[in-house]
Amino acid sequence: MTLVRKLKPDRNITGALVPLSMLPIFGLTSLIFGIPTGILTLAVMIGLFGVFYLYVFIRTRNVFVLVISADCVFLIFMLVMASGTFTNAAWNYMEDPFDSAEFALAYFSGLAFFGFVIIFLFLTRRLKWRGREIFELAAEPVEETGNGYTSRPRPVGKVDYSPQQMHAFARFCSRHLIALPYITSKNLTLVLVKNSEEFGRLLGLSGDYRDATWVNFDMDGEVSVHISQKDYLDYREPLAFDQLCTSLGQVFSDFFDLYDKGEGVRVIDRMDDLKISVFS
Amino acid sequence: MDFHTAAKYASLLSKDYAEDIFKLLVNYHAISASEVATRLNLHIKTAQDFLEALAQLDVLSKEEALEKKRPYYRYTLEQTRLVIDIDLMQVKQEPSQKNLTLRVREKENAGARFSVARSDDYITNVAIWTGIGREREERKIKLTAPQGRFLFHLPFPKAEPLTVDEIMQKAGIAESLAPEIIDLVQLLEKYNVIEAVPEEPI
Repeated sequence: MTLVRKLKPDRNITGALVPLSMLPIFGLTSLIFGIPTGILTLAVMIGLFGVFYLYVFIRTRNVFVLVISADCVFLIFMLVMASGTFTNAAWNYMEDPFDSAEFALAYFSGLAFFGFVIIFLFLTRRLKWRGREIFELAAEPVEETGNGYTSRPRPVGKVDYSPQQMHAFARFCSRHLIALPYITSKNLTLVLVKNSEEFGRLLGLSGDYRDATWVNFDMDGEVSVHISQKDYLDYREPLAFDQLCTSLGQVFSDFFDLYDKGEGVRVIDRMDDLKISVFS
Repeated sequence: MDFHTAAKYASLLSKDYAEDIFKLLVNYHAISASEVATRLNLHIKTAQDFLEALAQLDVLSKEEALEKKRPYYRYTLEQTRLVIDIDLMQVKQEPSQKNLTLRVREKENAGARFSVARSDDYITNVAIWTGIGREREERKIKLTAPQGRFLFHLPFPKAEPLTVDEIMQKAGIAESLAPEIIDLVQLLEKYNVIEAVPEEPI
């Protein structure tokens, strides 16, 4: 069976661009200040990358992102050693750390371990932000086209859950990178984040979350939905906006019901069944 | 008394010299504009305009007099008590059945910007564009809480329109607040943010 995608293909390379940009910076600093300084600069950048993923863990409680932070710590340690700052076991400065069999062994075995784990997590979508899956699921039942976009949020119904249940659902959504929750005393807002957009959203560079696409649950259970124009234009066709908003609200209501029944794994299965590329 | 007449009274009474002129009118049987002007050290045009305006409001009566073949008017006070009485309820827009059964929804490509309250359950203001070309400017309309709730529940463009009454019920707005809702509907309809959709014949 061929799955018909309603979203345009993902051509956003921000996710790859952020780590890759470290390479030219490393090259330039090495050229200007020498290789040890270049290596230290690279170590600092990897450190910042690791700190970012530590923040992602604190914000989402997704434990898998800690692997990236741990990998960064390992790489920093190796790079600092490689820069000649550290001493070997005999307390002598090392000229070329790769001359040491122990260093090379530690380096390549660590690289293989973290490489394997990260590729595994990547392929099993445990590090993937699920925005595109949600948008595809929301568009699935919408066949009618005709635009009708408006920047107003749409009230889409009511759910009968307690604030405690809502908070638990928000934790579930953030842990599985389904949406990023923003919680106030009166509202729980789940902001959809597509892969590669997490940097801007989490670092606060993408503007106010109210301008993004979100599903809001107030403490009385009223559900409202807002779809940003940018996300709406990401659909191949101008889908009937009213129906799209209703459908997006319904997707989250269904997720909530499944989660409440203890079948949260079905939520993940529904998204995995879409077989959206791990890169998008 | 209507607003327009009351405004004329208020404008005349707010003049610095109004009390002095009335003092003359009360104490003199009849007085001309030039007599008032010289007595109060005003320009004759100022005095004449004031007396003419009072005559138009029937506070004074005027009688033509002749002196050296030049006609002029002498003014006599007709009312010794001025009462400004406005019934504010005369401007109240009572919701008619027609207003409440109007089927409305947001107009497509209205170009309006809606700001949502922090609580995400009502609209706080609408920014609309008025004028054309270089005269085009943004106008922000702040909404009352019931108006904001009404707009929050307004059907989207191309969605099935709902009557004003139905939207008010959905938004939990009391019927007594209908006049302010109808005022908003009329305003936004004028600026092409809302469109009224006639019911399709069965």
